[in-house]
Amino acid sequence: MTENPPAPRLLKRLRLSGTLVGLGLAVEAVTILWSHPTAFLAFLFVGAALVGAGVLVYLWSLASASSS
Amino acid sequence: MPYLEEALVAIVLVAIALIALVVLRPGLTATRGGKVLTFLALAVLPGLATAMGLSAHMERSKTTEFCLSCHIMEPYGKSLRVDDASALPAAHFQNRRIDTEHACFTCHTNYTMFGDVKAKMTGLKHVYINYLGEKPKKIELYEPYNNRECLHCHAGARSFEESDLHKEMRADLASNTTSCLECHDVVHQVGEKEEQP
Repeated sequence: MTENPPAPRLLKRLRLSGTLVGLGLAVEAVTILWSHPTAFLAFLFVGAALVGAGVLVYLWSLASASSS
Repeated sequence: MPYLEEALVAIVLVAIALIALVVLRPGLTATRGGKVLTFLALAVLPGLATAMGLSAHMERSKTTEFCLSCHIMEPYGKSLRVDDASALPAAHFQNRRIDTEHACFTCHTNYTMFGDVKAKMTGLKHVYINYLGEKPKKIELYEPYNNRECLHCHAGARSFEESDLHKEMRADLASNTTSCLECHDVVHQVGEKEEQP
């Protein structure tokens, strides 16, 4: 069964989401290997924030795709 | 939790691989399986990794190693190893009366992220001062030491309860009217004691 290819705008948002989540996960992976208060702050305010932003962009792309 | 950090790194690697697949082959997202894969890569696995990472960091921040990882705390770490049986931190640490892996947190439980909102804000302020502010020459508690941290272990202990002086002062100690440190006053006298070899 084949379905319609995703719209360019959706693809763009998925790429943005993937980039944000990927960067956030990379930061989280690096900071988890370092035992220092700075590592905790970097995890929370950089890693988790990027992941959160990426997930939001993903959810936004889904919502905008279903509404269009 | 053992292997939490390894599991987190594994989840991150799998998530990044799946994200790369979704980004490089966006056509996948047109199929039902691709949609599920995208949901896993962009929502489920990152959420799981973040929750696990947060838990790992919270657990790690209770460790003695974590507290002493800041240069300014080094002298307080040394006070755990001074050769003086009357020094409270050293006596507790060296005689294994407290978990040595969590030595600081055992007695300073209301600090940083494990306290209330005010304590959390104070923790952020400490990080700011550590990097950008003027560090104090001597670190002092913001408020008098709470006897609760002592009584949490000593209340009910035979050696504590059978002491006549403790019996007399029991109510005052419980209400913090009298501090335990008024008598047991050798605490973190940083720089004044010799470290145990």
